[in-house]
Amino acid sequence: MIQEMDRDPNVFLMGEEVAEYQGAYKISEGMLDRFGPRRVLDTPISEAGFAGLGIGAACCGLRPIIEFMSWSFTLVCLDQIVNNAANIRYMSGGQFKVPIVFRGGNGIAHQLGATHSHRVESIYSRIPGLIVVAPSTPAQAKGLLKSSIRCDDPVIFLESEKMLSEVGEVPAGDYTLPLGVACIERPGADATVISYGRPLQRVVRPAVDMLVKEHNIDVELIDLRTLRPLDTQTIIDSVTRTHRCVIVDEDYGYCGMGAGILQKIHKPLFDYLDAPIEYVHCDEIPVPFNHYLEEAMMPSVDGIIAAVREVCYR
Amino acid sequence: MSVVDQLGGNNATRTSPSPAGDAGPAPVEIARLRMMMLIRRFEERTFQEYTRPGQKIGGFCHLYSGQEAIAVAAAALFDKSRDYLVNGYRCHGHSLALGMSPRTAMAELFGKVTGCSRGKGGSMHLFQKEAGNNGGHGIVGGQIPLGVGMAFAQWYKRTGGVTFTFLGDGAVNQGTHNESLNLAGLYRLPVIFVVENNGVAMGTQVDRSSAEKDLAERGCGYHMPHHNVDGNDLDAIIAEFAKAVERARLGQGPSYLVANTYRFRGHSMSDAMKYRTREEMERARLRDPIAVYEVRLCERGVLTEKQIDDLQKEVNEQINQAVVGADADPHPDLDERFNDILAESYPYHA
Repeated sequence: MIQEMDRDPNVFLMGEEVAEYQGAYKISEGMLDRFGPRRVLDTPISEAGFAGLGIGAACCGLRPIIEFMSWSFTLVCLDQIVNNAANIRYMSGGQFKVPIVFRGGNGIAHQLGATHSHRVESIYSRIPGLIVVAPSTPAQAKGLLKSSIRCDDPVIFLESEKMLSEVGEVPAGDYTLPLGVACIERPGADATVISYGRPLQRVVRPAVDMLVKEHNIDVELIDLRTLRPLDTQTIIDSVTRTHRCVIVDEDYGYCGMGAGILQKIHKPLFDYLDAPIEYVHCDEIPVPFNHYLEEAMMPSVDGIIAAVREVCYR
Repeated sequence: MSVVDQLGGNNATRTSPSPAGDAGPAPVEIARLRMMMLIRRFEERTFQEYTRPGQKIGGFCHLYSGQEAIAVAAAALFDKSRDYLVNGYRCHGHSLALGMSPRTAMAELFGKVTGCSRGKGGSMHLFQKEAGNNGGHGIVGGQIPLGVGMAFAQWYKRTGGVTFTFLGDGAVNQGTHNESLNLAGLYRLPVIFVVENNGVAMGTQVDRSSAEKDLAERGCGYHMPHHNVDGNDLDAIIAEFAKAVERARLGQGPSYLVANTYRFRGHSMSDAMKYRTREEMERARLRDPIAVYEVRLCERGVLTEKQIDDLQKEVNEQINQAVVGADADPHPDLDERFNDILAESYPYHA
């Protein structure tokens, strides 16, 4: 964010506690001192108000970064994001563009309860006019965020509080990653596993590691990186070679993110599949407070291993 | 000379070319009267096009007849090099006042590709970026935070511009009203909130929807001036708007103005107005903003009754031509439905 704000004077950051508190999760630490109160702004607790403010400002030449303390809090400003950010370009016949980034923590963190644990990817990924991005490594967080800030379309940038302490190699300098492109994190021949963001970081990588080392299954792992538009080409190329596919997310299965991915890929892959596509997801329940109940509702390493073994008939 | 120049905006001088081509410049008052007439005629013609067999206008359509003075007042003070206007769905009048041609507006109502939004917006979504007309929005109150954001951009870039943020008496009760007024007051943004209070939100009168009957008081608690103004008296509105504009341009912050008016037509085309009495409607006609202004201009000797009639005929003809033209314009190609969703293109697109 600092690099992009140094580079372009029209970029500014706005959100609850981003300035004087130095960020609810310390992400914007030091930014108020560096850029001043015109460019790093604390807001009142008014998600619809400041989301709409950002959209209006984006229509008039600025490039706002609007931080939500949690994506769960955006249910109160759904109208601004879905009806304004996503639609203004279309409804005006292309006269306006909305170069805004909305970012914040998404998904199940830990014991935050049913109202603070929403996975919003499927809510926003179905909306034409939005770009939805989910990094899964520190390097991706930098590369994808820089690209999102430079992108002229409204971006839903899905982070996770639980990934903020993750450590990894991050290229220095002006490092960007393209939007709308998935990456094959681990090439393989036996089965394709598709995931993104927090579930990929939390359980899919450990599961793939065990599948390769202990179950002798050569998994090809796809990290989607962008959920809308979906890079179906990379998925189709992969499963055409491996013939087996498992999708993993932390969403609800019915109408969830993986269900949307299934819709796009099942027909082109029909003749190449040797087993039905497996979809590993959360239980369809509000998120409980108790640690063990919460853990039980989410995909597990064992559950993912079982799903991959099932499509391999092993 | 642009439309807004003629009305007195863009810091134009107080004279403009005479509409009838007579010798000597005519005051901006004539242009203002003409614009109110143009809006009225456009709206009444829209009513006809909507209701006649072979209906050319579909969907929702919200007419501005009776409220014209408010849009014209904003245009009369508008500086299109740096000001913005954002609105709800009753947006035909403001769009015409800011200079949209009746042909372009009618074409949009007909859904034609020559419409301001290429047929993809419709009556509720008239936009014209180069005029500072930042749209027509459909969700009640959804536009209010947008207006605050546009003012934020003016504050951030230090342009001295102001944003007229229009809303109705119904929108005052939406949550975004509270949030937007607080943000504008807190950040001291150059917003002019204009509540067009026509007394009724669809069929629900203000005294059945607002605990506080004096809507100017709904602007209280946000650290900004909040006033009522007679929404049927063009000069009174211009005077109030001018104060708010100056305050905003000087960086002194937002204002909240309630323009009390009346809409002669229903909420939208499907409204049979069963919630109104005949007496109420007849009383309202006595304060028709166009009639009020015509009487004033006659008394001041600016126009004769004959000149007013001629002006009306000219306006009628202009609207007729606009409808004929819009009627002949083409619908968008079917493939047009995939255009203008995103500003960029992406490598893979299922």
